[in-house]
Amino acid sequence: MSKELARWMDDLLQEIDTLKFERKNERRVRVDVDSKSVHSLLELLRGRASFVHLSAISCVDWIDEGQFELVYHIWSYEMNTLVSVHTRISRDSCSYISVYDIFPNCAFYERDIHEMYGMYFEGSPCMDKFILTEWDGPPPMRKDFDSEAWVNEHFDWQDYHPDWLQELETQGGGIAIHPEEQRFSRRNKE
Amino acid sequence: MMKNLENIPVEQRRRTNPLAHVFDEFMAFCQSRSLFMLHYCTGCGAVELPPVMTSRFDGERLGISPMVSPRQADVLLVTGYVSVKTLKRVILTYEQMPAPKYVVGICSCTVNGGMYWQSYATAKKLSDYMPVDIYIAGCMPRPEAVISGMRDLMEKIRTGKADSWKDYFRNYDHYLGQQQRLFGPKWQTPTDIIGEAEHYGLITKNTRGEHTRLLEEHQKRLEPLEMRL
Amino acid sequence: MRPENYEAKRQPPSNEFELNFGPNHPGIEGNYAFRVKVSGDIVLEGKADAGYLHRGFEKLMENRLWIQNIAITPRICVPDPVPMEVIYCLSVEDLCGQEVPARAQWLRVLQMEMSRFAAYLFYFGGLGSTNGMYTPHYWGMADRDLILDLFEELCGGRVYHIYNIPGGVRRDIPDGWLERVSSTFDYLESRLKDYDDLVFRNQVFIRRTRGIGVLNQQEALELGVTGPNLRACGLPFDVRRDDPYLVYDQLDFDLPTEDAGDNLARALVRRADLFEILRIIRQVIKALPDIDGPIRAPIPNPLAWNVPAGETYQRVESSKGELAWYVVSDGGDKPYRAHVRGPSQTHAVQVLEHLAKGARLEDIAQIMFSLDACPPEVDR
Repeated sequence: MSKELARWMDDLLQEIDTLKFERKNERRVRVDVDSKSVHSLLELLRGRASFVHLSAISCVDWIDEGQFELVYHIWSYEMNTLVSVHTRISRDSCSYISVYDIFPNCAFYERDIHEMYGMYFEGSPCMDKFILTEWDGPPPMRKDFDSEAWVNEHFDWQDYHPDWLQELETQGGGIAIHPEEQRFSRRNKE
Repeated sequence: MMKNLENIPVEQRRRTNPLAHVFDEFMAFCQSRSLFMLHYCTGCGAVELPPVMTSRFDGERLGISPMVSPRQADVLLVTGYVSVKTLKRVILTYEQMPAPKYVVGICSCTVNGGMYWQSYATAKKLSDYMPVDIYIAGCMPRPEAVISGMRDLMEKIRTGKADSWKDYFRNYDHYLGQQQRLFGPKWQTPTDIIGEAEHYGLITKNTRGEHTRLLEEHQKRLEPLEMRL
Repeated sequence: MRPENYEAKRQPPSNEFELNFGPNHPGIEGNYAFRVKVSGDIVLEGKADAGYLHRGFEKLMENRLWIQNIAITPRICVPDPVPMEVIYCLSVEDLCGQEVPARAQWLRVLQMEMSRFAAYLFYFGGLGSTNGMYTPHYWGMADRDLILDLFEELCGGRVYHIYNIPGGVRRDIPDGWLERVSSTFDYLESRLKDYDDLVFRNQVFIRRTRGIGVLNQQEALELGVTGPNLRACGLPFDVRRDDPYLVYDQLDFDLPTEDAGDNLARALVRRADLFEILRIIRQVIKALPDIDGPIRAPIPNPLAWNVPAGETYQRVESSKGELAWYVVSDGGDKPYRAHVRGPSQTHAVQVLEHLAKGARLEDIAQIMFSLDACPPEVDR
């Protein structure tokens, strides 16, 4: 039964021209779709193919392309298949429409994306700050926010200069590594 | 009523009773043997506190017992990384505790940020914001380490060396400056620290300074916190 | 806080009061706040307030090497850390297209089930304390420590193990360790009878929890409830069975369900789950000596390890429900994006707010504990 349903869904999705369909393995399907048709696709999948469980909404910041990627992971308890619906939204407009009327448990994820990326969801029940209520900087998960620079600006570090270390340092040794020399602390920018 | 109390002259008298020191030592001994700790579960380290308090390691045999209210607690356990949002609450809690009070920083994160040194959300050095008596390093420290650290604290209290709470009154300007640097110039707590410092006779030239002046500028009468539902 | 510093705010007369639960409150699980509006002792409305444990994990992971990230993954959920390690390793292996040796897979299953057992003991302790019964807490902690001792022998860490790495596990098991696991779990099984007498057949506990925090099937599906909380509503779904990972498809286990959907049902489902965990652990102990071979597939130099570009969505069943990670790589030596979807993000926020409506004030802590909400998972 579920095998037939899965085949039926594959055939159907492959026939729609505006979306890109890719079956990754037995229980994972990736769909790339235009941002205008996400809601109708989700509604179709929920209503006709029993994808009732919204597992998560992920957001990825593709800063070089100036786009946010939204990924809706939905799971069907009957077909045992997870469909990931990918869509891209311009980084400048930075607003989108909520799926609250289709999946009521999207509220947390949309609120989370709103405060971590600054993307506004119209129609979501609550867009107030939740985790970062005491934060007044830029949305921290964006790629252009440099966490390390912010930390160096706002915090001091513990001094650790015991005698044995001072002795070493007078001879030119020591354990202190300057941040510029730390190999693994930054993303490679080449 | 408080105004009237302030006008009463307090006379500093020399202690002439030869038994005074014996009595002090006895007091310190008793204090060290009945510690009520307020464990603020700021982070991961809190998961090792139930084993410390329950059957296997049984902290209560050392006279250490958990206490739910800061008003009756002696020891503030800060168990793990302190996010900026929590730090405000930790400072409020610390200021509500009656003196003498002791702070124990558990986990490496309270010492220097630990593995969250890059994180924008966690405070790095707990001792910038409040005086700390004992650090127990480790990620996370085992229950034996926590008990050993508590025994060190008890020894410090017994010998009268655990007086870092006085630092908070003596160097209030420094601590307030650090808090304002992180929370913004309008940061204020409901506790009147300078009044308490006067009460304990711990006013020094570092108690007041530019930061307390900034606090007085912004200070307004507190209103009950408004909550939106 | 001195009274003279306060000025009472003039407000219209009302019999509604607002009350803060937490962040530092004995009835709250961890560092979490819940604000309620009460009339009498009936809760009219509740709002969750998270963020006290926020560390910005997802940002931290973008700034660290693939291999460095293993050290911080278990910190996301403190009482049940092993699934976090395993799911991160599964994600990286999926991106690299790496095969994991069979022995490592069985060892991972064993760890995950041991961790689940320990987390359930923690859960019973917490749930008992909210009803004023402190003995389960003391017993549960002492019994959980036996499992932690086994972990300590295996990898040196009590709470955070970091035993799994991409490609397998770090080292093979010590001599005689399986026998000790076997005897420890035999002992724990003999203890379960005492837990029954103390908690699950105790009239105080049953009367206190029955009919409180009732969630029906439709609400549960709409709110995205997963794991034992969903099984307590009569829906037998589990990632281990429906979306099998590692070697769970070769194991024989049942999914216990309850129909009531209240606090008692949620506790009973977990109690029945303990026997299934014991079944799985016994199967692994029986099968493991016959499975030879390496415990780790070779990985490239971890300090210069570029994972191929791609994206993956992995799910495992933690002790609280469906745990999922979305990991994106751009072909660099660090993850481009790692998104954590913890089960508590649903349970501790929307479900708790939903169940709090109309509940009595003294039941709020109990409802929160019975949902097994894990605040660090919400905040990340």
